[in-house]
Amino acid sequence: MSTLVYMKMLERTPEKYDRGMRLLTLGRIDRIKREIASTWVGPGQDVLEIGCGTGTLAALMTARGARVVGIDISEAMLAIAGRNAPEAELIRMTASEIDALGEDRFDRIVATLSLGELSEDELDFVLRASSVLLKAGGKLVVADEAPAPTWGKRLFARLVRWPAAALTFVLTRNTTHALKRFEERLGRAGFRVVCRRDYLFGTLALFVMEKV
Amino acid sequence: MWNLLKDFWLLFGRLFPFPTKPGLRPVGNPGRSSPVLVTCNFELTVRKVVQTLTRDGIDAWLLVAPTKGINVWCAAGGGHFTTDTVVSALKTSGVENRVDHRELILPQLSATGVNVWALKKRTGWEPRFGPVDIKHLAAYLGGGESSVARAYRHVRFELPDRIVMGTNLGFSSLLFLALPLLVVSIWVRGLFWISVPLVFSLAMLNSVLVFWLPGKPGVQKGFSLGLMVSAAFVVVSQAIWGLGGWQTVGWTGWIVLVATYLGYDMPGWSPLWRADVKELALGVKRTRIAIVPQRCVGCGLCRIVCPANVFARDAETEKATVVNHDACQACGACLENCPAEAIETNFRSGHCSCPACAAIHAARSFGQPADGQKEPGTETATSSHCCDSKTCAAPDAATSTVKP
Repeated sequence: MSTLVYMKMLERTPEKYDRGMRLLTLGRIDRIKREIASTWVGPGQDVLEIGCGTGTLAALMTARGARVVGIDISEAMLAIAGRNAPEAELIRMTASEIDALGEDRFDRIVATLSLGELSEDELDFVLRASSVLLKAGGKLVVADEAPAPTWGKRLFARLVRWPAAALTFVLTRNTTHALKRFEERLGRAGFRVVCRRDYLFGTLALFVMEKV
Repeated sequence: MWNLLKDFWLLFGRLFPFPTKPGLRPVGNPGRSSPVLVTCNFELTVRKVVQTLTRDGIDAWLLVAPTKGINVWCAAGGGHFTTDTVVSALKTSGVENRVDHRELILPQLSATGVNVWALKKRTGWEPRFGPVDIKHLAAYLGGGESSVARAYRHVRFELPDRIVMGTNLGFSSLLFLALPLLVVSIWVRGLFWISVPLVFSLAMLNSVLVFWLPGKPGVQKGFSLGLMVSAAFVVVSQAIWGLGGWQTVGWTGWIVLVATYLGYDMPGWSPLWRADVKELALGVKRTRIAIVPQRCVGCGLCRIVCPANVFARDAETEKATVVNHDACQACGACLENCPAEAIETNFRSGHCSCPACAAIHAARSFGQPADGQKEPGTETATSSHCCDSKTCAAPDAATSTVKP
């Protein structure tokens, strides 16, 4: 019994990923993806999506006329992404290899619920590399779990999040992790936030940044 | 206080991931030629590694890879300690600025998830697998592969490990049994309070005495233990408490049931046997493993990575042969690292089959049926993470990194 539970805990379930994220963010993630595609990405733009997962956002962006390069570490996710967003160019690589994609190449770099999965070293690396990859005037668009801004909100958010996270994990073995001291890291990597939108008491946030 | 709570939790709750901060850590006073060691970011492992290195006076750079707080073997089996994980840790930790060499020592049990050929190709580092247990690192560093006795490459299940795993088997089983026991206690008075120490002690006995209990590992050993303990119970209960007939029958049955249940779980907690659930997930009762001599390039890596001494080197042909077939745990380390697709098995390859864990995703491999496109019954080493086998099999590559 305990070994079965352990096996289940380690099991990753790409096919259940979208359902899991929808449950965990109480449906907000779909709304955020639509907003990114309609507000922050335009026709003819070159877009890099870090951690494209099942390609739901890549599909919205290619539908807007953007040229999308999606990277993900999981072949299983990419196989699903290939069906969801056939027009996107999909590459299997880790986020720490994006420096191989060139310089001044993208108008937008987007990442939803993927940067939180990285270690602190990896996050710093990805932010520095993104700054090199973006063209002048390009924007970095990140939606992820973030620590709530005030103490009261944090407490309230935890009360909401814990049951949702537990249920999501049990049902789909997927979860998210909060970005660690994100705004401080952005500053170090040479970005400044031009727009921040909070969801779910500030625990889920959309950051739009540009190079300083 | 926090440390005490942490230790208490780690004593009982090893089933659960417990992350510590990944990244590069100096141990002792490392310099530009000090060895670079890789490990997982399970708190307890990192602590043990640092303690052992300090005790043995080894100055080293410890690269703690982000493995989601899971131990080396399980993370490698579950796809959280892979070639990608090490590539990323090497690249983002800044380790290349700290040392002049490019030699990297990986824990042997990470071989289930890490392909050294692909790692070398993607990073330029020269990876090799160190011993299973960090306590043998000093000997390993002293003389490389030749100094590492075959036994050091073999997983063991010694008394301290058996005590620790007994504790955890008891604790984790109680997590699942507590609620049903409380409910049944409404009708059977005292069942809960008697069962808690009973589960703990039977788990401990199952684990500590596992080599001496009659029967095969699993339900058979658990059942034998149950019979022995309940026989002792009958004698003692008659002599001291004078329990009635039906009560004795009830408690005896309960002891046998609990012991058998714990025996069923025991192999999954050991490093020596496959969990029963894993056999179900693999879809085969008896695993089959064979070398295709025409393909084998004699690099010796399968012997190095195998934690169960399944392979040996044929003195005449210098190629690998299977000598210890039944010891195979289907961990997949040889399949992951064979540069020449020379190993054939009747279970699926890949990261997805460490002894205690995640075989089930192999069976479901990314939404495809377990046998994929291939002829059922035979699977050769084809890992998506493996680099081009022709390049990898080049003799100089083999000599420089892994040839013993």
